[in-house]
Amino acid sequence: MKALMSLGALIGVAGLLLLGGMIFDVVPSNTVRLVEGYMPIQLLLEVACFVIGFTGLSYMMNAMGMALPRFWQGIGFWVFLMLYLKFRVYPPIPFSVRAMYGTVGLVTVFMWISANEEDWNKFKQPILNVLDAQTGMNRLLRYAYLVLIPILVGGFSYNAMMPKSEEPIELRTVHPAPPASTKVHGKTYTLQTSQNPYRVNPEGKYDQEFSNANIVEQGMGRLMKPNANPWDDKNQGYLKYVREGGEIFFQNCHFCHGDNLNGRGLHAFAFNPIPANFTDPGTIAQLQETFIFWRVAKGGIGLPNEGFPWASVMPPWEQHLTVDEIWKVILFEYWHTGYYPRTWD
Amino acid sequence: MGLLVGKRIFSIVALCMMVGLLLLPVVVALPSLAIGEETHAGDAAKKDGDKVEKGRDVYYKTEGIVSGAPAPKTTDGVKDYPRYNFESRVLLWFANQQHLYYGSFVLAVPIFCMIIEFMGVVTKDKALAKRYDQLAYDFIKISLTAYSLTAILGGILIFTFLTLYPAFFSYLSGIFRPVMHIYALMFVAESGTLYIYYYGWDKMREGFLKWIHLSMSVVLNVIGTLLMFLANSWIGFMMSPAGVDEQGRYLGNIWHVIHTALWNPLNLHRILGNMAFGGGVVAAYAAYKFLASKTDEDRAHYDWMGYIAMALGVAFLIPLPFAGYWLMREVYAYRQQMGITLMGGLLAWLFIIQATMIGILFLSTNYYLWQAMGRMRGAEKYQRYIKYLVFLLACGYMVFITPHTMVMTPAELKAMGGQQHPVLGNYGVMSAKNGGINVIITTTVLSFVWYMRGNKVSTVSWAKFGNIFMGVFFGCAYFNIIFLAVYGYYIPANVRVGLSVPQVATTLSCLFFMFALNSFMMKGAKQMGPIEWGKISARSQYALIMLATAFTWMMGLMGYIRSSVRLFWHVNEIMRDNSPWAYTHTVGFAANMISANVLFFWITILFVFWLGSLTAKKVPVESKAGIPGSVPQPAPSH
Repeated sequence: MKALMSLGALIGVAGLLLLGGMIFDVVPSNTVRLVEGYMPIQLLLEVACFVIGFTGLSYMMNAMGMALPRFWQGIGFWVFLMLYLKFRVYPPIPFSVRAMYGTVGLVTVFMWISANEEDWNKFKQPILNVLDAQTGMNRLLRYAYLVLIPILVGGFSYNAMMPKSEEPIELRTVHPAPPASTKVHGKTYTLQTSQNPYRVNPEGKYDQEFSNANIVEQGMGRLMKPNANPWDDKNQGYLKYVREGGEIFFQNCHFCHGDNLNGRGLHAFAFNPIPANFTDPGTIAQLQETFIFWRVAKGGIGLPNEGFPWASVMPPWEQHLTVDEIWKVILFEYWHTGYYPRTWD
Repeated sequence: MGLLVGKRIFSIVALCMMVGLLLLPVVVALPSLAIGEETHAGDAAKKDGDKVEKGRDVYYKTEGIVSGAPAPKTTDGVKDYPRYNFESRVLLWFANQQHLYYGSFVLAVPIFCMIIEFMGVVTKDKALAKRYDQLAYDFIKISLTAYSLTAILGGILIFTFLTLYPAFFSYLSGIFRPVMHIYALMFVAESGTLYIYYYGWDKMREGFLKWIHLSMSVVLNVIGTLLMFLANSWIGFMMSPAGVDEQGRYLGNIWHVIHTALWNPLNLHRILGNMAFGGGVVAAYAAYKFLASKTDEDRAHYDWMGYIAMALGVAFLIPLPFAGYWLMREVYAYRQQMGITLMGGLLAWLFIIQATMIGILFLSTNYYLWQAMGRMRGAEKYQRYIKYLVFLLACGYMVFITPHTMVMTPAELKAMGGQQHPVLGNYGVMSAKNGGINVIITTTVLSFVWYMRGNKVSTVSWAKFGNIFMGVFFGCAYFNIIFLAVYGYYIPANVRVGLSVPQVATTLSCLFFMFALNSFMMKGAKQMGPIEWGKISARSQYALIMLATAFTWMMGLMGYIRSSVRLFWHVNEIMRDNSPWAYTHTVGFAANMISANVLFFWITILFVFWLGSLTAKKVPVESKAGIPGSVPQPAPSH
């Protein structure tokens, strides 16, 4: 047990040193890389490691007779969480999300330190000591809080009320609800039921299973499936249409959406927000193919009211591409990213 | 002897009256329904000179004889939208929400009564049986006053509809005309049954008569549930109309009008929601009484009452998210547009608030259970592990509430390099959220298991093996839930939706198998000490109040979301809302309005509680003796 706890304590110390380095800008945040494809679970595992580390540290300090009071344990863990979110995670997390996490952190720390009477009393004791002010130090602290707390509250209020020249925050709806149908080049498409005419099997019939089996594989390799190379001249049907879609993409779209379809094209950073990252599981992977068809055809100016503040410079591609070309480019986007369009069956 | 026979006859007659009341609406309405349909069809035929006009059902795609007028095309003016100098929609929102709160409460409480009364009847311990009976009586007493308020609020709601939205209300009541009187008669049946059930309590306290009384509660709940299903058919029709043609003309099949695409998921969701809400309100009542108690005896009684109400409420809360998933799945299947508006578009932020509220519910429940372990001697052994449960809950909760599209300044947007955060953005999609909520629920189940075995040590020969098996089972469950959440990113969206099934199955397996195994292991277990009812921290009672407030707030929120997803339609794609208020409110306004509704409900329900305390029934002396608290008792309730 002691060996395990020592190991935990070691992890805790190492983690804290690393985090300290990141806070004081001695160590870059990406020293321990967040690996693409595993980032969400990696983050949770890292925090779990810290919790194990803190348990080990607490155990060792107890064993050495230097137990950290429960009051400081609670406050310390919350401060750690806030610093971790601010300095470890990159790119930076918007304040609104950090505030949400901070509140949850505060609530859960309260749940932990007040889960039983003994812990709760231990936590309260330093606060009660200061309020009772039985010793000189506590009396001094009480006076200090009497002055500092109103100043802090006043400072926060002043800061909150002070007019600022910053742009206001935005609640942007990235995927506004599409219309029931859309008219492109004189033909009306019902978005609920329309299908990509080029998503076909060798018999020429619509077959999503077939196309799914031929997309680029997911995961870090992102390799083409064997015998499914669209640039092989012999290929016909679905793979041929993917190739044609790719040609259209590289002639028209990659300048903004990027060679890897990750929204980092040549002109991408001229815009704010930058173009959509199709490799993100939250974009085309969760949308029906007809949704993409509507967005490509109508562009930023075709967004409905719900799409306020219409922060999209995407051109209405129906003015530049034929319906067939739009369907083919969509086919290529799904093939390249390794995602499947959403269906409802 | 004669008195007993008389009582028996009285109770059988009373039960027959109830069944009669239940059947009355059907008996009265069925002939009129048939006549009504023939008459409509006949009238229509006569008008068109025996030429029958047929229409195509917008949902079922079947043909039917046009039997009603088309949906009115309203215009913004006093004719279609008479108004005060105030937003009519807000007035209607208020009236509707208050009616719903009380309606849910009075439908849920009799179900509790039925369960608790049944527990009292089957419990062998006489003192405990009396306590259960008294508790059920206390519950129904609270709901009786609330019942009158529900009826009053229902009247206010109808007047508000008639006064402010006459064209819309007249259209809707025209569509539902065949069942309007059934609905009204069901109310009569519900009231009659409730009064017989309540006032017959003392007369039918023992033996066979008690079973008759219990049967009455079943009848009462059947009526209440049918009533709610009928009310749900209105909102189901407004969201996903059926039984009418494209112009909104009734096609003569009332079952199609009632049985719309969303009716069944709405029914299930509302039953579970009402139960969880009712449990929360009663738990808050008990918490309030506990905090105001002057004696240990009262504290013990209300502590126990709060625990039972919380346990019942949470029992229905656990399957609620799954019923919600089913509802959303059906919404998406009905209209992609509606689904995206809800979960990815205009109303997506309200869903983040909803996730926050769901998290609060589960966190409060866990916190209450940990506090409740404080009144058991022997439960200390679990305290040191609570921090790990807190960690699991916090991780699940943070993932569950992470928005996919974050609120940020343009400067933050630029620094982040895109609309979605490459790390946290992944928590914003359904796959991660399913994992998050299932981790939270499984952890709640684990807390319950710890609570149930808090003051006991298993004496079965296979106790060690059982403990290891339970530990491994929970470990595998967490692994499976998290693995499926990660795996969800690598498969098509339609398959991913299906992954929620094994995740839910894992969570429910934990719930049922672990509860069952734990019960076997704890049979004849060694008691480490009694449950000292009443010796619980005040914080636990605030957790119960928090639970109830969060339920109330979430109900208001979900009602608003469900209603506003129709956007500018009174009846989706059939009857357009042309009033000046056919826009979606801002998130801030909606949140304030919901808070105002919650505040009003709690002020009025406090009044109801106060009224209930005026007619406080003295607890019989012999049942008081059974109330734990003054004298340490062995753990009885689980």
